[in-house]
Amino acid sequence: MKIAKYPFAVLSAALFTVMLITPISSLLNLIWLASVDMPVGLISSLEVILFDFQRMGIALYGVVVVGFAIAFSIAGLISRFSSLAGKYLYAIAGSVAIGMALFLMVELLFQTQLLGGNRTILGKMLHIAGGFLGGYFFYFLISSDKNYTFIIRFLGIFYAYWLLGLSLEWVFTPVNASANFGFVLNELSSDGQNALLRDFTSLFVATFLFSILGVITLNPAWFFSAGIVYFGAGIFNLIAIYAHGTGFNEIFIFEFILGAWPSALALTIILKEKKRV
Amino acid sequence: MKKNLLLCLLLFSNSSFASYQLETVLGDLDDAWSFVFLSEDKILYTEMSGKLKIASLSDKSITNIDNVPNVQYAGQGGLSEVVLDPDFKSNNIIYLSYSAKDKNGKSTLFLSSAELEKDSLINSKVLFEAKAPRRTPVHLGAKIAFLKDGTILLTSGDGFDHREKAQALDNHFGKVIRINKDGSIPADNPFINIKNALPDIYSYGHRNMQGLVVTKSGRVYEHEHGPRGGDEMNLVEPSLNYGWPAITYGIDYSGAVISPFSEKEGMEQPLLHWTPSIAPSDMIYYENDIYPELKNSFLVTALVSKDVKKVTFVNGVFSQESLFSELNERLRNIQASPGGTLYLLTDGPKGKLIKVLPKEL
Repeated sequence: MKIAKYPFAVLSAALFTVMLITPISSLLNLIWLASVDMPVGLISSLEVILFDFQRMGIALYGVVVVGFAIAFSIAGLISRFSSLAGKYLYAIAGSVAIGMALFLMVELLFQTQLLGGNRTILGKMLHIAGGFLGGYFFYFLISSDKNYTFIIRFLGIFYAYWLLGLSLEWVFTPVNASANFGFVLNELSSDGQNALLRDFTSLFVATFLFSILGVITLNPAWFFSAGIVYFGAGIFNLIAIYAHGTGFNEIFIFEFILGAWPSALALTIILKEKKRV
Repeated sequence: MKKNLLLCLLLFSNSSFASYQLETVLGDLDDAWSFVFLSEDKILYTEMSGKLKIASLSDKSITNIDNVPNVQYAGQGGLSEVVLDPDFKSNNIIYLSYSAKDKNGKSTLFLSSAELEKDSLINSKVLFEAKAPRRTPVHLGAKIAFLKDGTILLTSGDGFDHREKAQALDNHFGKVIRINKDGSIPADNPFINIKNALPDIYSYGHRNMQGLVVTKSGRVYEHEHGPRGGDEMNLVEPSLNYGWPAITYGIDYSGAVISPFSEKEGMEQPLLHWTPSIAPSDMIYYENDIYPELKNSFLVTALVSKDVKKVTFVNGVFSQESLFSELNERLRNIQASPGGTLYLLTDGPKGKLIKVLPKEL
């Protein structure tokens, strides 16, 4: 587990930072909606924050991981060859990484501000502050040995968070959720719509619950349950393609990833418990 | 309107239109954006880089027009729409919309008129400069149409980064504009006496409107690009608020929620919305007899779905069919010639003009 310490710390700090910065866009958006007399309430606010965290967060996560990997590597070199060291060096590196990533996303890629929360000076400052805290969290993770259960729970929460977003999307915005899976919901028959909505929603809600129960109890059976469902989806996807001649659907790759992830967590728990015995 | 949406019927079918013959009449058009017929044989068309050209469809000759306004060709900006004055035969006046920099160096939308004199524009006049300055020329709208009273409608997009301003009346982001042919403001514009509202605004709460049609009955229809999902087609009426971005059926490109609301009293519902997005790029209302099966239909070109949507409304219920998807091209523009023959313009640096031959030929 020691070898994986630094990559795990980068991935974890990036997730922590995304958790901090996606609500900036959500809250600034909600404030604007309220200012034009839209009926913003608790439920609609939660809906916006959770959806943004799941959907925008996934897109942002990759950017933040790359930014942090570069920034923390440079910070590590600086601390090794200079007297500068400690939590503030990584915190500053985190804030620079976020600031640069947001700047380059506009200047090199889109020429427009894709992140709603980054359109104002206040929003920019809050994002950079999020990077600062992310860097601090990175230092916290690398400066002390963590029990393996901390890592299992962290990765399990991350997995559950992704499934929660998918579940919410199928519950609240089924048209968009269907579109993301290549369906035009209104084109399906009423029975087809019903089957699609109930089956997909129950799939994601059930596997979300399995993974949360795995995180709480550290019982590998819960993680295996989620893994089996997605391994099954991947296998039957391939059978559908090659045995029944349906169209090729590369989503089986993600299904195997979603199956492998909790299965790996479950195997780790079993191996660790065996060693302990 | 909500009831109509609930009743709406979606039909997608290529089969009944598979027999159209499609003939490429012009090729190598460089980012052509719009065209208009000067006669059955000649078209006047724009290229985004700032070129205005006349092409003969029979001998394929192309003539450059001089004295075109300077444009800012970047992002989604450049020379956009060209239309003829309703009295073009007697006055030779054309209208051009385009993006250019304002006096502060920011991009915005302009509308100019000029006389087409042989191979040159003369007496050019800027009729309108949008109070919608932006860093990057995106989401400009730029469609032009004439109301039956002779006034001009122009769509002005939300500028992407400025979407919230579509709900305010002190700017031109996300608005339909109405002005007279000389650039003056009609006395009966809906917000002319409203404090802090710009007097040339006709309707508001729009996104990036790239289809604008006034039917013979005088009704105004527009369609607009949504974000991810939520492309809309609307019946435009003066003073009304079409809701963007406070209500929408789409989500942001980043995956973020733009608004958790899709309806609110005082904000208009679309006649229809496309989710997932088709990226509607132009629209005509076909009223000729060459293709009887298309008569009295809206024909909407699409960049993402790469087809033409035939949209018809019967008692508020719409039906929709997909045409010409066999082209598998991003379609930028559609026009009917004076005789009623349909032509499609494809998008991009190697654009083509494609003639649609009636089924029986």
